[in-house]
Amino acid sequence: MKENLSYRKPALIIAAFLLVLCLASIVFLLSGREGGHYVADIFQNGILIQSIPLDDIQEIGTFTVTGENGCVNEIEVRPGSIAIISADCPDKLCVHQGFISDSRLPITCLPNRLVIQLRPVSDSAETVAAPDAVAY
Amino acid sequence: MSVRKTTFLALFTTLSLAIFAIESAIPPLVPIPGIKLGLANIITLILLRHFSARDALVVLISRILLSAFLFGQALSLLYSLMGGLCSLLVMAVVMKVLQKKLVFLTGAMGGLTHNLGQLAVAFAITRTAGVAAYLPFLILSGIVTGLFTGLCAGFAGKLLPSFLSDIS
Repeated sequence: MKENLSYRKPALIIAAFLLVLCLASIVFLLSGREGGHYVADIFQNGILIQSIPLDDIQEIGTFTVTGENGCVNEIEVRPGSIAIISADCPDKLCVHQGFISDSRLPITCLPNRLVIQLRPVSDSAETVAAPDAVAY
Repeated sequence: MSVRKTTFLALFTTLSLAIFAIESAIPPLVPIPGIKLGLANIITLILLRHFSARDALVVLISRILLSAFLFGQALSLLYSLMGGLCSLLVMAVVMKVLQKKLVFLTGAMGGLTHNLGQLAVAFAITRTAGVAAYLPFLILSGIVTGLFTGLCAGFAGKLLPSFLSDIS
């Protein structure tokens, strides 16, 4: 009985594809920008609700953001970093993420549709949905 | 569909539901939404390999609906459905191309597409381009966890009793 080996070529292609994706991800993660000056953009339902220049923060402050379903997230700002410190969602992944101080990974609370993204001060707010809504 | 087959599919649904329940009791290892082992994918892979794509689809949808009613929120249903359907579609194609060999590759492709499907839903819900920052994390975790579940399914497949093969 002759074994059919025609699966080998696609297998190699798939393995190479996965390897390249892995390497690209790792390279991208290692090359992330660190340090620098950031503005924290807080989005709710994709709309910018607050923009906080983290360099201007002199002392620790907290405030709460309430969503349309009555969801509450408490946010703490410190000089150079920001975190969600309490949330009423079930998994609390956003709280566990702790303070962020670079633009690599935004804090996202999916149940409350809240995203906190750091943006380097030098970048203009081109990705921002509603620049007029700045209120801080 | 014979009674015998219906019974086995129900059994597999129960198995995947139990695996899913055990997995959700494990606290998240990394503080990034969407990263988990996805152990229930083992059942999907076994069904794809030893039964058919149609049977895998039936069990997958039953498991997702049941788990959403039992422990989920309405929102997590959307993520599971999108991720599950994307990965099932891709895994069915890859499994066929690879002639049911090297199941871990099929698993890795499934894990990858599962996470990409979920990220697409996250983008649709939050409407923030920033969720793309999760892409590298989700690609890596999807491939690694997919390799793991694929290996599990490969080993489990060898231990399946031979009488299962006359059902499908």
